[in-house]
Amino acid sequence: MKGSRVAKRYARALIELAEKSQVEKWGAELERLAAIVDSPDLESRLASPELSQAARQEAMAKIAERLELSFPLRSFAVVVARHGRIAEVRAIAEAYRDLVDQMLGRERATLTFAVQPSNQEVERVVAGLEAIAGKQIIPTIKVDKELLGGVVAELGGKTYDGSLAARLAEAQLKLAGHA
Amino acid sequence: MKRWIATAAIAFAAFFPSVALAAEEAENHGSWLTLGFFAVNFLIFVFVLAYAAGPYLRKFFSNRASLIHSNLARSEEAFREAEALARAAAERIAALEQEVAKLRQDLEAETSFQLRRVSELARTNSERIRSDAALTAAATAENAQRRVRENLAAVAARLARDLISRHFETADQSRLLSSFMDRLGQEAQR
Repeated sequence: MKGSRVAKRYARALIELAEKSQVEKWGAELERLAAIVDSPDLESRLASPELSQAARQEAMAKIAERLELSFPLRSFAVVVARHGRIAEVRAIAEAYRDLVDQMLGRERATLTFAVQPSNQEVERVVAGLEAIAGKQIIPTIKVDKELLGGVVAELGGKTYDGSLAARLAEAQLKLAGHA
Repeated sequence: MKRWIATAAIAFAAFFPSVALAAEEAENHGSWLTLGFFAVNFLIFVFVLAYAAGPYLRKFFSNRASLIHSNLARSEEAFREAEALARAAAERIAALEQEVAKLRQDLEAETSFQLRRVSELARTNSERIRSDAALTAAATAENAQRRVRENLAAVAARLARDLISRHFETADQSRLLSSFMDRLGQEAQR
């Protein structure tokens, strides 16, 4: 969905409308809209064939109003509904986020820890990743107890595995004579 | 033929009139006239006989003679053929002995060859089986060793995982992060 050409086209159109100071705000609003539209209950209702096109547009407009989105975002929500692209809102939000990141020279990374990390730990890892990417890194933090300890960082399609589980697996392979 | 038969009859009657007159009574002596009559009568009889039966007799004897000649010729031919057959049989018997001797020789050579071949085949097969068995034994041993190593490694990993999850501390996490940062630093320098 993230790579959908339609989603990219919508995202590009929206970012071209935004002023540089607005892009992040609009991005956050778009994420909120996507989070609501993506909820399984609402998604199935909006996708129902029993719902008319006009009713669908009206529903999107009301959702946007309830979320207190800025006027351009409300209009955007209605346009998306009119063109039958409600199911693409999540992909549009992701594509928009990628474009904003690109525009502002930053990259996103997923950091998975075995236990909830302290801010200091996150900052250390982010600093290391920034040194590699040469860009500002926006981290997404996840917790997975299976890692036992350490951290796994995913940046630009590459994985840096510093977890204890990976070391243990490596040791197991060596012990078994496979490495 | 007719002439000599007639001549012989007349001469016989002239020299042995008693025989010619044997049918007459013994007391009466025959006359020359009677003799002449009987002789002529006999000659006529002979002539009639020769005239009537002569051709048939000649044909009969001629046929008989040619039959005898032919039988004789066939017998000679058969005899020659028998002799030839006997010679051929003798030659064949002589050749047969040679052939039997050659067959025996060939059979011995073939038997010897087959024995050598079977022996060689048995030897190569036994070597191959021995080699296969050695390979299989080595593979089985290696497989067993690998499985034992894998099981040991899995048990060791499980124990290590249990120990770590029970005794993992903040300082350990800090050390791991330091190590990870070193790795990231190396990556950044590339």
